[in-house]
Amino acid sequence: MFAWVIYLLAVHSAQTTADEIFFKSTVVEPYIEMRTHPGRGYPIFYIAERGELVELLKRKTDWIKVRNSRGVEGWVHVDEIGKTIDSMGEPLNLKSPDLESFSNRTWEFGVMLGDYDGTDAVTAYAGWHFTRNLSLELAATENFGDFSDGRMITGSIVHQMFPDKRYSPFLTIGGGVRETNPRSSLVTTEDRTDNTASVGAGIRIHLTRRLMLRFQYKHYVILTDRDDDEEVDEWKIGISAFY
Amino acid sequence: MENWNKRLLLGAALYAFAGSSLADEQPEQVQVINPEIDRREITTDAIDTEDFEIGAYVGILSIQDFDSEVVYGVRAAWHVTEDFFFEANYGVSEGDLTSFEKLSGGAPLFGDEDRDYSFYDLNLGWNALPGEVFLFGKRALKSDLYFVAGVGSTEFLGDNWFTVTVGAGYRLILNDWLTWRIDVRDHIFDRDTFGTDDTTNNIELSTGITIFF
Repeated sequence: MFAWVIYLLAVHSAQTTADEIFFKSTVVEPYIEMRTHPGRGYPIFYIAERGELVELLKRKTDWIKVRNSRGVEGWVHVDEIGKTIDSMGEPLNLKSPDLESFSNRTWEFGVMLGDYDGTDAVTAYAGWHFTRNLSLELAATENFGDFSDGRMITGSIVHQMFPDKRYSPFLTIGGGVRETNPRSSLVTTEDRTDNTASVGAGIRIHLTRRLMLRFQYKHYVILTDRDDDEEVDEWKIGISAFY
Repeated sequence: MENWNKRLLLGAALYAFAGSSLADEQPEQVQVINPEIDRREITTDAIDTEDFEIGAYVGILSIQDFDSEVVYGVRAAWHVTEDFFFEANYGVSEGDLTSFEKLSGGAPLFGDEDRDYSFYDLNLGWNALPGEVFLFGKRALKSDLYFVAGVGSTEFLGDNWFTVTVGAGYRLILNDWLTWRIDVRDHIFDRDTFGTDDTTNNIELSTGITIFF
């Protein structure tokens, strides 16, 4: 029964919408290789020759699903598609992400792990680059201490001095809100919410394709209701991807 | 002379043909450009990318020192390359009585609210063993055996615990956008609820459906 459901779904999917209009490009290299699935290990089952017109149906990571005039569908690497030409004779502006894409990224998302004032901390963040040098970032951090754990939202502005470099250092300042929850084993302490201000520096390193590594240090000032503000150091390492 | 005749005949025929065809085309000449045809300018930006995966799952969570319970969750993934993906999960379950509470028959150690178990994790996944599955000898479906590792938080027994998650899973891509997944995850965290710091392993077996978009 289950197998039949899968089969019906698979068959149904094979009949891709014929009435939709797709981008068409012409093969100018001697041939392009079409694979059965999006992945470098999958078998090449068909070759589209020079002069053949292919429709570009969809993209998954670095693979593009194409259909030729005979209706044969297969997956071609984006770098090979980048060598085909459009109706004006221009090569398509398609390639797998590289250092240049890293320099010109608009969005980045990542996960970081590290030490916040001697406790384990986890961060997820998103960044939007509105110029090549400047970006806005929003980060959610949770840290886990012996006496309390906390959650923090931080908005920051990030400046990178050398956007073209593989090793790209940055400076950041920001502000946010922190909620501290004392451990349930401690008695008569209440949750508290404070504003924070932060300053920091770090480096992003382009690894490969869309992936990058990120190290950062931040110094937080927690504006408490008590007489003294708290000052906290944070070290983080993370992995991010850009778009 | 013969040539002249030929030319004359050809010329007349040509004139007649051209004349007739001109006469035929005359009324259509008004419509040289058909305004009904809209030029479809499609750019490569219009190519649909399907790198995101979202879905839900159900399974069994074995909570250390407690029972195995049903767990429900949602997950989202971003496939960054054909090899690596980022994944976020959120799941909820509930701890039953501990063995001690069952055996002693006394008052329960924890309130019902404290027994609510919820977690999130942020993982990096690696499609280690991509493959193909053959169905009825007619169709070949893509599959991936992957490993994940990440960090996150578990809320249980009234506190939040820093949690490391490791696991493996299998994804069968039924068509271009629908997948079926089976996952095994170990959520590891240190818990000091019983007085000493104990490292707990909470193993989750689950199955679910995700869609690519």
